Amino acid sequence: MKINVMQEVLQANDRIAGENRKIFQKNKNLVLNLMSSPGAGKTSLLEKTAEMLQGRLRLGVIVGDLETTRDADRISKYNIPAIQLTTGNACHLDANMVSYALPHLKLEEIDILVIENVGNLVCPAEFIVGEDYKIMILSVTEGDEKPLKYPMMFHESKLLLINKIDLAQYTNFNMEEAKANAHKINPDMDIIEISCTQGTGLDRWIKWLVEHYKQKLKGSAHA
Amino acid sequence: MHEMGIAQNILDIAVAAARKEGASKITRINLVAGELRGIEPMQLTFCFAVVARDTIAGNAYLDIETVPVSGYCNECQTNFSIDDYAYVCPQCGSVKIEVTGGTELRLKDIEIE
Ligand SMILES: Nc1nc2c(ncn2[C@@H]2O[C@H](COP(=O)(O)OP(=O)(O)OP(=O)(O)O)[C@@H](O)[C@H]2O)c(=O)[nH]1
Ligand SMILES: [Mg+2]
Ligand SMILES: [Zn+2]
Repeated sequence: MKINVMQEVLQANDRIAGENRKIFQKNKNLVLNLMSSPGAGKTSLLEKTAEMLQGRLRLGVIVGDLETTRDADRISKYNIPAIQLTTGNACHLDANMVSYALPHLKLEEIDILVIENVGNLVCPAEFIVGEDYKIMILSVTEGDEKPLKYPMMFHESKLLLINKIDLAQYTNFNMEEAKANAHKINPDMDIIEISCTQGTGLDRWIKWLVEHYKQKLKGSAHA
Repeated sequence: MHEMGIAQNILDIAVAAARKEGASKITRINLVAGELRGIEPMQLTFCFAVVARDTIAGNAYLDIETVPVSGYCNECQTNFSIDDYAYVCPQCGSVKIEVTGGTELRLKDIEIE
């Protein structure tokens, strides 16, 4: 006998993400789900961001990592609330894991919450966690054809940060090609070139953050 | 491997639906997976076999229908298929398009005994 089911496979996750989203809404948090390959520079970006937002907007961080608490420790040095979620062998954060972190953060004292996902270009894009936007980092050492190889993540992301541009001269990374590939997958994607070690382009990233935070506030004033 | 988490979710939904009908066995599960989800059918099939072992879906066949990416043009109201990630309307060249297929991950139906 055949039975009609017609259910989204990840509906359980999506329901919890919806509950997280309500909590973020209440606390007026702009929430960003930050994704990239391992080592593309997610934690480095958050360190710089913590430094540059000091005295302007209050940053909070949730870090998903396979084993260690190293990344959270790096960020805590900047007096930023940072919660580490050790994911064990899971290759992504899901809405349920993120919900466990929320009681440990004073969300009402946070303006922008960034969730550093596990380094991986496939799995994190599948699971929403309650974020306003997914954003991603591609580093020049990974190659300019990555958008075509991993379309889902590029398709879902609002912003692409191209990092480690200080190293571009030592690689065969073609910046125009990378941007064209990303825009092919996602024509509306914002793209900012940065170097976390040299600080290049980070002012544009901060501007993007502040703008989207203001937009979020405006939006939730009506909600 | 996100296939493991997805396999568990498929099993949970299928078993709940089968139980509601008082079934003792699930023989087939029909899944629809958009191309953009990046599901590896082989991996998903393997993961499903692992999580379903010793359940009423232990011998179920998991059918994965892959849905190609498709779009709809807001300018000229055309539906079209998107090949090679070209997110432009083939009719009028507009980029104001919506992706209408290729991102779904849905359990369509199951067969029970
Ligand atoms: N040359 C150069 N190196 C960078 C840049 N940004 C980050 N790195 C280096 O890249 C390495 C990885 O950076 P992380 O910030 O730890 O990367 P991550 O994405 O958080 O890594 P995981 O959490 O392990 O996935 C570190 O050695 C950084 O110093 C950059 O702009 N230029
Ligand atoms: Mg990190
Ligand atoms: Zn058109």
